[in-house]
Amino acid sequence: MIAIVCLDDRNGMCFNGRRQSRDARLRREVLDMAGGSRLWMSPYSAEQFSREGGGTICVSASFLEKAGEGDYAFVEDRALAPFAEKLEKLVVFRWNRAYPGDRYFDLDLSDGRWRREEARDFPGSSHGKITMEVYVR
Amino acid sequence: MKQRILSLLAALALLAALAAGCAAPAEQPLVTLEDLPAYSGAAYVAVNGNEPYFTQSEITGEGYEMYSDLDELGRCGVTCASVGPELMPTEERGNIGSVKPTGWHTVKYDCVDGKYLYNRCHLIGYQLTGENANERNLITGTRYLNIEGMLPFENLVADYVAETGNHVMYRVTPIFEGDDLVARGVLMEGYSVEDEGDGVLYCVFAYNVQPGVEIDYATGESWLAGEGAADSGDGLAYILNTGSMKFHDPACPSAADIKESNREEFTGSREELIARGFSPCGRCNP
Repeated sequence: MIAIVCLDDRNGMCFNGRRQSRDARLRREVLDMAGGSRLWMSPYSAEQFSREGGGTICVSASFLEKAGEGDYAFVEDRALAPFAEKLEKLVVFRWNRAYPGDRYFDLDLSDGRWRREEARDFPGSSHGKITMEVYVR
Repeated sequence: MKQRILSLLAALALLAALAAGCAAPAEQPLVTLEDLPAYSGAAYVAVNGNEPYFTQSEITGEGYEMYSDLDELGRCGVTCASVGPELMPTEERGNIGSVKPTGWHTVKYDCVDGKYLYNRCHLIGYQLTGENANERNLITGTRYLNIEGMLPFENLVADYVAETGNHVMYRVTPIFEGDDLVARGVLMEGYSVEDEGDGVLYCVFAYNVQPGVEIDYATGESWLAGEGAADSGDGLAYILNTGSMKFHDPACPSAADIKESNREEFTGSREELIARGFSPCGRCNP
């Protein structure tokens, strides 16, 4: 499973049960990245992809359990640590902004088990600079 | 620490006249200081289960902004807006140094990010409604309140509006105890209109505190934590013009125009500067 997350400056993901931010260009990046592979997400996340759509999006409340090898999983409102052993790769989109948070990314990317393989910036549809980082074991 | 017991009701000054959309019963406080937990390390805490207090009749998808008149002590009151793309600024932010909110002191501490304890804190952030030197929208707030407490919510709303084109009901209420000149914090409420709160929904209290520094909220005076009030801070900070022999508030627009060869920073008392032959700038009146 290749997990995709969006984080603010404090590694936050959500506040009060709502995503910290959203960006149409970022969604396009996610869809392009997944290509023909399955892209799993929760019903909550599927709502923000409804405009773009896509035949490879698979929606399930238990999507992290269902995602298999080579599948992508877009994670907004779930803990990833329980699925750490399934992770082949991790894609982090950084908003480069501080937002309020009460759900935070729960993997430590500095524990020596992860190596940043790629990083690049791109302008979002409404965010000045989004940074995409790819981590591999 | 001369922490006052937060025992008095901080009835929120709710306006009725200017903006029917943000009116609320004047006698009915939304929240009191008694209801709020003491600061315990988090810059903000959820209030009312993170549900804002907007009533259905207050919610509108038409952009507007409202700032209360200053009270008899010169303090800011409730500010409210329906933030949409039509209100967001299109120009660079201007100077706000001419405004001196109640309790204002220009004072520096090494333990504060950027050194200056106090910022002129926008109640409704510049990035939302483009307000610059509006005295009805600026309070004396710590750097911590500004950056850790309020800015994340401003960013959340600004980016949501920019991305969706929707509106967000946005209300910020400074909460004072009694006749204090410095607010104990601000109640911040947000509600996205077109999607009925699916995108933005929060109700929080952000603390006007600064870790490592203690504050006398009655006056705005401050001192390092663990020291007495008599040991206060590093003194006030000024910018000197050794050519004109004027001294300025660091935020004074005139200070920015001083030639480098005539410019000096000074931390100490006003009286000391006057004794040295300097006189206060007539523009910023430090």
